[in-house]
Amino acid sequence: MSQISENKQISPYMVFYMITTMQVGVGILGFERYIAKSAGHDAWIAVVLGGLSFNIIIWMIYRILLKEKTDIIGVHRSLFGRWIGGLLSVLLLLYFSSIVITILRTYIEVIQIWVFPQLGTEVIAIIFLFLAYSYVIGGIRVVAGLAVLGFFITIPLFLLKYYALKSGHYSNLLPFFEHSITEILAATKGVTLNYVGFELILIYLPFLKQPEKSQKWAHYGNFFTIFTYLITIVVSFVYYNQEQLQHTIWATLTLWKIVDLPFAQRFEYAGIALWLFVILPNVCIGLWSVSRGLHRLFKIKQKSALRALLLVVFTACILVIDRQQIDMMNNTVSKVGFYILYLYIPFLFVTQLIFTKVRKTKNG
Amino acid sequence: MNFFKKKKKQPEPEQTQNRGSLTFQELMQKLSASADFSTVKQSSVSTFYISYFKTLVNPEFVHRDLLRYITDIPLQDLDDIQKHLPLDDITKTNDVHDISNKVTEGYILIQMNKEDTECLLVPSLSTENRQISIPETEFSVVGPKEAFVESLDTNLNLIRKRLPIPEFTVKEVRVGKLTKTRVAIIYIDGIADSENVNTAIQRVNDIEYDHIVDSSYINQMISDNGNSPFPQLIDTERPDRVASVLAEGKIAIMADGSPHALTGPTTIVEFFSAFEDYFLNWVLASTIRLIRLMGVMFSVLSSPLYVAVLTFHYEMIPENLLATLVASRNDIPFPPILEAIILELSIELLREAGARLPTKVGQTIGIVGGIVIGTAAVQAGLTSNVLLIIVSLAALASFTTPVYQMSNTIRLLRFPFLLSAQFLGVLGVVICFAFILSHLLKLTSLGRPYIAPLYPLRTNDLKDALIRMPFSSQNNRPISLRTSDKKRMNKKRATEKHDIED
Repeated sequence: MSQISENKQISPYMVFYMITTMQVGVGILGFERYIAKSAGHDAWIAVVLGGLSFNIIIWMIYRILLKEKTDIIGVHRSLFGRWIGGLLSVLLLLYFSSIVITILRTYIEVIQIWVFPQLGTEVIAIIFLFLAYSYVIGGIRVVAGLAVLGFFITIPLFLLKYYALKSGHYSNLLPFFEHSITEILAATKGVTLNYVGFELILIYLPFLKQPEKSQKWAHYGNFFTIFTYLITIVVSFVYYNQEQLQHTIWATLTLWKIVDLPFAQRFEYAGIALWLFVILPNVCIGLWSVSRGLHRLFKIKQKSALRALLLVVFTACILVIDRQQIDMMNNTVSKVGFYILYLYIPFLFVTQLIFTKVRKTKNG
Repeated sequence: MNFFKKKKKQPEPEQTQNRGSLTFQELMQKLSASADFSTVKQSSVSTFYISYFKTLVNPEFVHRDLLRYITDIPLQDLDDIQKHLPLDDITKTNDVHDISNKVTEGYILIQMNKEDTECLLVPSLSTENRQISIPETEFSVVGPKEAFVESLDTNLNLIRKRLPIPEFTVKEVRVGKLTKTRVAIIYIDGIADSENVNTAIQRVNDIEYDHIVDSSYINQMISDNGNSPFPQLIDTERPDRVASVLAEGKIAIMADGSPHALTGPTTIVEFFSAFEDYFLNWVLASTIRLIRLMGVMFSVLSSPLYVAVLTFHYEMIPENLLATLVASRNDIPFPPILEAIILELSIELLREAGARLPTKVGQTIGIVGGIVIGTAAVQAGLTSNVLLIIVSLAALASFTTPVYQMSNTIRLLRFPFLLSAQFLGVLGVVICFAFILSHLLKLTSLGRPYIAPLYPLRTNDLKDALIRMPFSSQNNRPISLRTSDKKRMNKKRATEKHDIED
């Protein structure tokens, strides 16, 4: 970590915003249906359980990285050697890029469905990637700044929940614990996609000043995400009954429709537009991390890596055409994310433990 | 290719070097070519010559304070003269370069013989000054009513008398090949961060230009990003404001001949704080500051949102409001964007015309333009009433920005917003905002982040950003300035609680 100069680093508390924004993406606009499928009105328990379990993963990630004082690419290299380690890093970067593509393409779909049905994917993608480029080129400080400002710009959207609560049926939530544990665990698995993204910290952790101090902020960030999802799902459950919910693809988005202010109604137009400040930090942190990873792996300039990456993301975005493909993409990334977080990270953790033990005995 | 290379290799010879290589006689010849340069031979008791620019030196000074002491005394050489003159800062020199600089600034040259290359230089600066007047661009109802004038020394006096401490430091640099403008970099030693001071001094030193006639030249030349529409240093005409920001640990830069000081490193929120905010109670000041910020937002966003909603998202308009809008836009032949651009441009025209004309005519233009053209445009069915109200309110709101340069920026910002609103509706507005944000995040002022209290988030500095907390809670200087002395006062003593009957 010593090679990164201090004026390029960011404060430890910044990780709070970076983790929350990465976790809250486009999924929150319509995740209710998927998890309510298996756990019904008890799905909120799955949200909490799933979220809490990620605290363990965050803890593991910090242990893995802090031990070697480097990022995941360095860890891979020292554990598995140059070639296998490098291959693993490439696979991980591929997964990270697929997160970026998924988020971006899903948001573009939301825009096309709700606001501009005629607008081509390539138009929004180009504008969006150009925008992302202008941030990422400024380095991690600018990207983190976007995460912070985006957080504060979008947080007032919470207030819109008031309209749903006003006309909700609170008995929808009762009775508690009606579903079996297996059902709830199945729903917990479905929650994963909504929490993935924070693992990008595997790359940007060395850029935090005093990374040890930042761990508590990472956990706070995760807790805040749990809180966000919990509020969202409870409000949706209060407003819709389970039957309705199964037919509503974008449950949270639909809730914005009922907003009725004296000077504006149909707030989803403004809401979707403002949601850009949730999506953009996601995309930027993702792009920054992948380009940084490529820079570390292949010794190419981060700028050129970024440009190539933008081209790839753009192509991928326009290749995905319809709802089925987007759904498939979301499911695949979700599944891969699930295995990476719950299997690969613990595996890495254990391997590293063994390695250090072996090295210690060897050395003395 | 060769042609270009040659050009690069031979840098323009500097004029100062040219002048330095003159001989004394050539210099005198050059000077005498001007009609206002006079050389007088004095030969009452002993003979000597005095030469000066009649337009720079007050003749009264020459007779009253100079000749009176030396004409009736026998003099041997220049040292004799120097002994008898009751004036400081007299130099004896034969350096032609120095002589040339000083004489053109208003020094009096004394020689024993016309051919002597050695001479005395007597300072007698009498530049014409304007009286100190009331601040006009940053007027405040309460508080001091002094504004800077065009003389650097007067201006420094105005600041120094507010900060009577030895730490108050003025570094002077001369900038500009022709104008040789005196530029002062002012800071309080021990409070201001030395890195900031060095940045400022270095940047001023690096200026390479022939004439500097105003501090706004310097502002553009030393700003971190010259292509940004956002001003990166605050331009103020109030000595009290300068004294107060110096005490915060900032740096001020002043140029001779300019009635404005530049202060920095600054942050974007400072551009929306009027100095009057500090003269009012903190509750009032905070409220007014918030109103001002909302005014700025309204000014930038209102007409783009009108265009966006009417062009793409008319579903967003509630039923009751729809009737009003329809009635207003019923006969308008133009799409909203054209309507908005026409109105915005005509407001800009009015503003520009008002600014260029003498005050009295300017007011008339304002009335004619605002009322007559506005009403006529609506009656003719060219624009809608609603938009007219929005645009003129937006113009009004942009005037609340206390710093003039910033209000210009806000004027300009509206147009990209308008165009992107026409392109992608509300989403376009947000995208445009995101682009501006990316620019602002990258912007720095003297190397310090531009949107500092917001990002990097500094909770301490937020006490004097969007709102202004009471003085008792402002016990620390802004963290983002990295001041050497972080404490403004002793918090304990300031907030000491007294018992009921103490």
